[in-house]
Amino acid sequence: MRFDLFLFTLAILSSPVLSDLVLPKVERRIDLTSQVVRITTSLKVENTGSDLVSEVLLTFPDRQANNLAYSTATLYEGKGKAKASAGSLPVELVHPKDMPPSLTVYSVSLPKALGKGEGLMLDVLAVFTHALQPFPEKITQADIQLVLFQESAHYLSPYAVKAQSLTVKLPDARIESYTRLENTKVHGSEIKYGPYENLPPFSYSPVVIHFESNQPFAVAKELVREIEISHWGNVQVTEHYNLVHDGAQSKGEFSRLDYQARPYVRGASAFRRLVAKLPPRAHSVYYRDEIGNISTSSLWGDSKKMEMEIEPRYPMFGGWKTAFTIGYGLPLRDFLFELNGERFLNISFGSPVNELVIDALFVKVVLPEGSREISVSVPFPVKQRQETKFSHLDVVGRPVVVLEKNNVVPEHNEHFQVYYKFSSLSMLMEPLMLISGFFFLFVACIAYMHADLSISKSSASYLSKLQWEEVQATVQQVHNIISRCLAMHDKLEASLRDLSRTGDIQACKATRKSVDSLLKELSKELKPLIAFLQSSFQAAQIFPKVEELIAKERDLQERLMAKHSTVVDCYEKKLGGREIENRIASHHQKISILRQEIDDLMEFIDEI
Amino acid sequence: MAPKPIGSPIPDSLYPTLSVLMLAIGLVITASFFIYEATSTRKSRSLVKELTTGAVASVFLGFGSLFLLLASGVYV
Repeated sequence: MRFDLFLFTLAILSSPVLSDLVLPKVERRIDLTSQVVRITTSLKVENTGSDLVSEVLLTFPDRQANNLAYSTATLYEGKGKAKASAGSLPVELVHPKDMPPSLTVYSVSLPKALGKGEGLMLDVLAVFTHALQPFPEKITQADIQLVLFQESAHYLSPYAVKAQSLTVKLPDARIESYTRLENTKVHGSEIKYGPYENLPPFSYSPVVIHFESNQPFAVAKELVREIEISHWGNVQVTEHYNLVHDGAQSKGEFSRLDYQARPYVRGASAFRRLVAKLPPRAHSVYYRDEIGNISTSSLWGDSKKMEMEIEPRYPMFGGWKTAFTIGYGLPLRDFLFELNGERFLNISFGSPVNELVIDALFVKVVLPEGSREISVSVPFPVKQRQETKFSHLDVVGRPVVVLEKNNVVPEHNEHFQVYYKFSSLSMLMEPLMLISGFFFLFVACIAYMHADLSISKSSASYLSKLQWEEVQATVQQVHNIISRCLAMHDKLEASLRDLSRTGDIQACKATRKSVDSLLKELSKELKPLIAFLQSSFQAAQIFPKVEELIAKERDLQERLMAKHSTVVDCYEKKLGGREIENRIASHHQKISILRQEIDDLMEFIDEI
Repeated sequence: MAPKPIGSPIPDSLYPTLSVLMLAIGLVITASFFIYEATSTRKSRSLVKELTTGAVASVFLGFGSLFLLLASGVYV
């Protein structure tokens, strides 16, 4: 096996390095209950040398280190049960010179250097993907899935370890085989190696465990999460999954009948559903692929979370692939905040799907148009770039922050922040776009109505149409003038009523004067219009009516003037009310008849 | 200073009402615009009146359609 080479490498190591530190106690727990391998190591570190030590080195074989997705170190204070977390420490990749070549070394820098005789407690969590190797590599539908896991029973460390033990937690199923060393115990679904005491640096003792694991080996080859912010009250998340079952490859034929009849026997290695934990108050959730909506999903939730269960279109066997999209809207208030004039989005990084391994994750944060001074804060290293996206009602496009990370595990579901500056006035851009669109439509209508689109400008029908329009406009003008005259008449009548109430003859005379001059002007304006109508051939039909209207109006005007003069005269002579009534009675009757006729004619002309 | 959550300027629940109201007003003004266009002759038309009616109608239609988009879930 490949361990031989590795042991050989270790054997040629000349001298131990960095041996000032010793590890009095190391406890390791390996969790193999899902496709993600989680190794929790509790280290007790002690400095026996005289120099100050400010970092602790962690070593992994290269083979393992390639699969390392996530690692964190937590410092503990106190002893025994009373120990409390004192914060996590940065873990960095380092390349010390005197290390064997096939080892990858990570360094945990301590907040305060360790002096002689001092010690501390450290918890290291390392998460690996693709560390379980299916064996056999190809199985039929009826077979169970068996996987291999390789590890060292001794803690691989550049320091001497005084006492150590290893516990491997397996899923509740068959254990096909495991390496037996001294002090090996099996207890239910747990295998325990150790305790081993007083081992030198770089001790290595390979163990191989072969066991059944029918957990979903769901791996997203590529996941694109698009998070689009709208300041009108929504954060829209769209996730495009490209999923594969990364366990043992399925061989032979697939029988739907067998699968339906006994799914746990004839399809033990397949998974048929995934559960996604969405944030609370998620709304408008959808689940679809290229051919449309996938109806096999259910959603339930409470005030703390929303859970969505999705079933792909077919049960997923080893090596089978599927692609789908889920999307949901989130209320803006829960995720967007303002601090010191800057806005920031605070949302989780990874996928909401449980126990999913993502080979390549792209998180695209689409900011609203007009965002400036964009900066991103992510708790772990990611590749970053910017692009532009054109969406609804955009002019210059929306700035997009693209974060790229490989090998993502559920531990990466931490919140990250995107800071940017945005003026609230920029929100008016979208309504302004719509308004200008509609206004353009109206302007186009106006232009069409004003434009002369006829082709032959000299044809008879065109000319007659032009003339007819002119006649119409002239008649309209006549109509306007006559109605202004009628308004003047009303003014005269009103002045007579005022006179009978107040007896102010001077005011009445003044009104009469102004009305007289205005009426004169109006009749002057009327003259060219009448001349035009008379000369126009098109107006031949309508002209008599117009003429009649004008004649009637003149008649009415004269009558009214006569009535006015009489009344004013009577008032000047201080005659009684009855006398005045008698004198104007004849005028009165005639005026009301004429007024009625004029109104009828006006209505007729207006309808042309 | 603690971060302050940012919401939408107008409560989401008002979007449908606002969209119906503003679109109704906008369509009435649009109707009056087209009635004026159809009934007046080329000589008697007033450009200022046409433009003001059009502008007012487009403001109402613009905001109305924006709220319609938001109410139907297209967050612009």
